[in-house]
Amino acid sequence: MAKKLIELNDITKMYDGAAVVNHINLYINENEFITLLGPSGCGKTTTLRMIGGFEKPDSGTVVMNGVVVNDVPPYERPINTVFQRYALFPHLNVYDNVAFGLRNQKVPKEEIAERVENALKLVSLPNFALRKVTNLSGGQQQRVAIARAIVNKPKILLLDEPLAALDLKLRQNMQYELKEMQRKLGITFVYVTHDQEEALTMSDTIVVMKDGVIQQIGTPTGIYNEPKNRFVARFIGESNILEGVYVRQNLVSFMGAEFDCVDTQFADGEPVDVVIRPEDLDIIDAAGAKLVGEVSSSIFRGVHFELCVMVQGKEFVIHTYENRKVGDHVGLRVDSYEIHLMKVEHVEH
Amino acid sequence: MNIKKLGKLALPYLVWMLVLVGIPLVMIFILSFMNTDGVSFVGATWTTAAWEKMFSFADPTNLKILGDTFLYALIATVICFLIGYPMAYIVARSPFSNKFVILILTIIPMWSNSLLRNVALKNILSETNILDNLLSRIGLSFSIAFANQDQATFISIIIGLVLTYLPFMILPIYTVIEKIDESLLEASMDLGANRVRTFAKVTFPLSMKGVTTGIIMVFLPCFSGFAIQKLLSSGTVYVLGSLIEANFIHDINFVSMLSIVILILIFGSMMIVAKVDKEGATLV
Repeated sequence: MAKKLIELNDITKMYDGAAVVNHINLYINENEFITLLGPSGCGKTTTLRMIGGFEKPDSGTVVMNGVVVNDVPPYERPINTVFQRYALFPHLNVYDNVAFGLRNQKVPKEEIAERVENALKLVSLPNFALRKVTNLSGGQQQRVAIARAIVNKPKILLLDEPLAALDLKLRQNMQYELKEMQRKLGITFVYVTHDQEEALTMSDTIVVMKDGVIQQIGTPTGIYNEPKNRFVARFIGESNILEGVYVRQNLVSFMGAEFDCVDTQFADGEPVDVVIRPEDLDIIDAAGAKLVGEVSSSIFRGVHFELCVMVQGKEFVIHTYENRKVGDHVGLRVDSYEIHLMKVEHVEH
Repeated sequence: MNIKKLGKLALPYLVWMLVLVGIPLVMIFILSFMNTDGVSFVGATWTTAAWEKMFSFADPTNLKILGDTFLYALIATVICFLIGYPMAYIVARSPFSNKFVILILTIIPMWSNSLLRNVALKNILSETNILDNLLSRIGLSFSIAFANQDQATFISIIIGLVLTYLPFMILPIYTVIEKIDESLLEASMDLGANRVRTFAKVTFPLSMKGVTTGIIMVFLPCFSGFAIQKLLSSGTVYVLGSLIEANFIHDINFVSMLSIVILILIFGSMMIVAKVDKEGATLV
């Protein structure tokens, strides 16, 4: 059983009378890479800032190592942050930026020099110590920001969309490097992003948030394969969501046909939402298929083709390796274990 | 638009500057080494008499005036900084939604004539003043007692200079502090610096450019002006500006020399400030 490092107990934060973070409960284990994922305005950054000490919750407690830290200022928390816009000090060079935290802790000079050098090596900027931060590229500034944070050997590193300003290639490299760093250093990473792919790639645990409320907490595969509601299903990857009825155990009906399924936690006759991922639909001959439709568009996506198939006026998205022509009549097939059922929510999101 | 085109657009301005600033400056410089009858070269002779009159150790009157001028300007600038910086900082960091209104309050007095303001100040600082006159009617009294006349003069001049030029210190400092990114202060606290250390290590260094501008904006008029000093001392204190005023009509060579001295000292102080501000100058 992993050790709980941070606990957020029933946290609420209001801005101008509106709850930005609404009664959330969350714990973060030691040595975990946890990602807060959600669209902008979902409260993920506010949650991060409350862990960092930059905001105080209006109600609820932030507990760190068993101690309530609501009123502990940021400079007394064993936490460092990589800010979204890096927030490097423009009046200091790279070395002084990285040494800033160590100097505040009154670390001896020789040790500072050694640790700064190591930190810069770790982020692959070994010869940049005397450069002005204002002359660095976005990617380099970002690395300096990471070095400036990890050089202090914090227990927890908070990262607020640190890769948002980088181009795609650099972003993918940094995703890999950040994950490596987290593994090597054994620091708990709390990562905030709106990019679901980034979250799936790096995280041990993903927390999906919307409107200040946690929608689902789970592993990347768990969240992808077993989304709890329409919002999570739509936000994490593409999906076909259909209305259906849970007929009886292991049998669900949708689109006028009945399918075997593996979910069991529903009552007979209960309405359900059916989620089928685009890559889980197979194209077969129209004859004898339960779902028959006409291909309405086909886009080449590199590795696969993205087909849209109209079935009884409902559009299905399918990822397949074999192309079909627009106008073709095709049948669709889905395996029972790839049909995922969700409880119907009364509020449409 | 490219630089060359812009360069052409600057030509009229350059001509203007050359005719109205450049040539007169050269004239003043030449005049300071001559003995002329007014601004006329008829019967003029070369001489360093004007410079000798200024930098004479046998008769240090003028040197003392130079020292006084510098001292008044320096003390006024330091006090302006000590009052102006905290004020600019507090306003810039305050949660008021319309911070500029507060700044306007410091600027509004500037809309009235500075001489009038200083005449009023002189009255308030004198023994029988208008406040005392008004307050005495309800049985109160207001009067500032100075130890002696020299002290009264000195303090009055400093108060006059500070009151007149304080806004010039506040405004540039306010502008830079206002522009400092909040996330830098958060980053500093995140890295273990408390509020005091964050101010010393981040806010203050980042506001140096405004401080430099403020110092120049206050020091220059304090050093070259004379009206406030003259008014508040009832003409007993001489500064370089008053020497120029007094000699303007009958000794153009001496006056030219004084202008050059002021110019050199001002350029000198600006260069010192620029040197100190080397790091800060590239900021913002």
